[in-house]
Amino acid sequence: MKLKQLFIATGALAAALFANTAMANEGHGPALKHAEVNVTDQEQIRRGLTVFSDVCMGCHSATYVTYKDLMDYPEIGLTREQVDELRGDHALTEGMRTGLSPEDGEASYGKTPPDLSLIVAARRGGANYVYSILTGFEHDPAGKIPDGSFNEFFPGNRIAMPDPLAWLDHDEADTAQLEQDAQDVSAFLAFIADPHQNERRAIGCWVMGFLLLLTLVLWRLKVEVWKDVKH
Amino acid sequence: MLNTIMKTKLFGWVDRRTGAEAIIKSQLTEYPAPKNLNYMWNFGSLALLVLVLQIVTGIFLAMYYKPSAAFTYGAYTVAFDSVERIMRDVNFGWLIRYMHAVGASAFFVVVYMHIGRGLYYGSYKEPRELLWIIGVVILLIMQGSAFFGYLLPWGQMSFWGATVITELFGALPVIGEYLQQLLRGGFAVGDPTLNRFFSLHYLFPLLLAAIVGGHIHALHVVHSNNPEGIDLTKPEEKIMFHPYYTVKDAFGVAVFLLGYCYFVFFNPQAWGYFIEVDNYVPANNLSTPAHIAPVWYLTPWYTILRSFESKLLGVIMMGASLAILFALPFLDRSKVRSARYRPVFKQMVYLFFVTVIVLGYCGHSAPTPTLKLVGQIATTYYFAFFLLLLVVPKFEKTKPEPEGI
Amino acid sequence: MTEKANESRRNFLYLAAGGLGGVAAGAAAVPFIGSMFPAADTMAASKTEYDVSTVAEGQLVVIQWQGKPVFVTNRTPELLKQLDGHDEMLKDPNSEAIEGVSAPWMTAENRKYRSIKPEYLIVVASCTHLGCIPGYKPSAGRAEWGDSVPENWPGGWHCPCHGSLYDLSARVINGSPAPHNLHVMPYEYTSDTSVVIG
Repeated sequence: MKLKQLFIATGALAAALFANTAMANEGHGPALKHAEVNVTDQEQIRRGLTVFSDVCMGCHSATYVTYKDLMDYPEIGLTREQVDELRGDHALTEGMRTGLSPEDGEASYGKTPPDLSLIVAARRGGANYVYSILTGFEHDPAGKIPDGSFNEFFPGNRIAMPDPLAWLDHDEADTAQLEQDAQDVSAFLAFIADPHQNERRAIGCWVMGFLLLLTLVLWRLKVEVWKDVKH
Repeated sequence: MLNTIMKTKLFGWVDRRTGAEAIIKSQLTEYPAPKNLNYMWNFGSLALLVLVLQIVTGIFLAMYYKPSAAFTYGAYTVAFDSVERIMRDVNFGWLIRYMHAVGASAFFVVVYMHIGRGLYYGSYKEPRELLWIIGVVILLIMQGSAFFGYLLPWGQMSFWGATVITELFGALPVIGEYLQQLLRGGFAVGDPTLNRFFSLHYLFPLLLAAIVGGHIHALHVVHSNNPEGIDLTKPEEKIMFHPYYTVKDAFGVAVFLLGYCYFVFFNPQAWGYFIEVDNYVPANNLSTPAHIAPVWYLTPWYTILRSFESKLLGVIMMGASLAILFALPFLDRSKVRSARYRPVFKQMVYLFFVTVIVLGYCGHSAPTPTLKLVGQIATTYYFAFFLLLLVVPKFEKTKPEPEGI
Repeated sequence: MTEKANESRRNFLYLAAGGLGGVAAGAAAVPFIGSMFPAADTMAASKTEYDVSTVAEGQLVVIQWQGKPVFVTNRTPELLKQLDGHDEMLKDPNSEAIEGVSAPWMTAENRKYRSIKPEYLIVVASCTHLGCIPGYKPSAGRAEWGDSVPENWPGGWHCPCHGSLYDLSARVINGSPAPHNLHVMPYEYTSDTSVVIG
């Protein structure tokens, strides 16, 4: 029996280890800050869209989000007029693209600014990671990396993106606003990485409820049918 | 209800032209099965369910997926775009995609449990050796299919995983270089690779469907093993598959669906185990991600590969670790089947399960010296398990098996 | 516990399981069949915007809508006069066969124009016989077109595939294999010159 218990214990330990490494920063750098993100909050997502279009789109695209999507997704639900203001000459069915060409981006910053449509899914820590990066510009304690390039949470600490929200050396009075901007844009990005997530969870509740009922019925049916058998 | 259907005129018409009644009787209503099967025997029907799920979801995904590595905007490609189109624009595309991704992992969970049952209860022993061998073939085709499928989204993990694995084939002497070019359709993983992997990914599950048919046929000839491992000779020890095991399998399906749907609807990425974080980054052939690991269900074999200094030896031993599964029925000559009555074998089998989990953990993690050593120890036991079975029956004092159940 | 009670409980459970299973199967079919309907981006392309002021007087332009060809004609006052006096030649002079119900702007007055603004005709350029794009032959009579058009040709379109004829409001002429006038699709003016089709 001892080895069976060892087997069960190993299974449980492995599960816990797998889960733990996934949730912490996997031993890569300091623990991430926590962002208050609610992908069902239309107001937060809209504020995030404003930050995105005012600040981020200077260098970054979100090519999988079309201007028409900004009207069609209920979590954003802009009016035709609001979208017309945002899109300028671009067609409704075009994705949100920056005017900065990849060549110019690489020339100015050393790396092409990546498209942000999936960034929350593409980084360990998701929205918390994005929020931590935006509010992670500090002075390098070792004094090696210049101001504006040192980021506490970026792997290797040297980040090519210059401080977009001017976090470094900001006034105390502005902290709350900057933190909110960073959280709001993280919420927007968390939403667009998986725009059907709210619908998915809603349907999921019904499916799980139905399956619980089905499992119950089939369990009782099995017990009933097996009464015939001496087992 | 089945009886009612079988009494109708329509059924009679079909039966006269197909022999349907005889088939239903011989495979379901008059097909005897041991009455003492436990829930570990549910995993076969679950595996069939997941195969059907994968084929159906795969066919609908293939209506929109495009296997092309041509660039569209920035780092994005036609293939990557088509997956995002499925996720965003296709009606319920997100659901079908998540079902397929979660289903791939679910398939391996179910099949590993099914194999574990076979190992513990001696279901690979006479007269079920061929049944076991067909099963190992199924496992290999599943692994191939999963490997081909993983390239299709053309993310960073897709690309680099395919690069590493096709690189392995290059290690073989003489034919290695040509084999690698044959697989890749070029000198590096690229558009030709993607296109042919799509074709093969479509083909393999259909091959699987045929081979699973053979697996079930082989089973129905020799009939199921049971937890006691003994041959059942008395009729009262058996019950008809329908309705007893159809109803028990249906209950098992419902429980399975609870777990499966939890992941599909609430946690499809499964913390990066079902859909890896790096695969949301489009493939870049000039930049390798910091941490490459295969998907969790292939990690044990990855550890075995990495346990050896020589690349060629690693490839050979990885192949050997799969090949040795074929030999199992002929290595273990004990007349006693079930671990319930084999105290030494029982400990060995549990240790084997622990070993596979440890191999998996090592394969998933970054290769530190400690983990490498742990992996090597685990690899050693993996092979030792099979080789020891050659001698264990000689000295193992098996417990007396019961006469009946 | 009597045999009867077991029997009825068993039957109830079979029925419940079967019923729930049927519901599950039906619900499971929904996303798969649903996925085969046009995706959101295909639907977004289902409307086309066009600026009619780019069409010169007397000119015919062919644009695309939902992958189909669409004629936009700017009819001069002379061409508009050619719409009168040949109703007996037409299969469906009042466009009753199809559009009667669907076009709320089709008043008794502008039935012969078959357009919201008389000068701009917007119709699907697909012959209602078997789908070819008809050729534009606006001037009346045979002076320009010779024998290819009948003697009392009022001007309009002539389909090269099987010879169907339409007048300048794309109304089908008797004797043509085509059964209906060229279709008028839903459209509206969002400004004086801007049209949204679809």
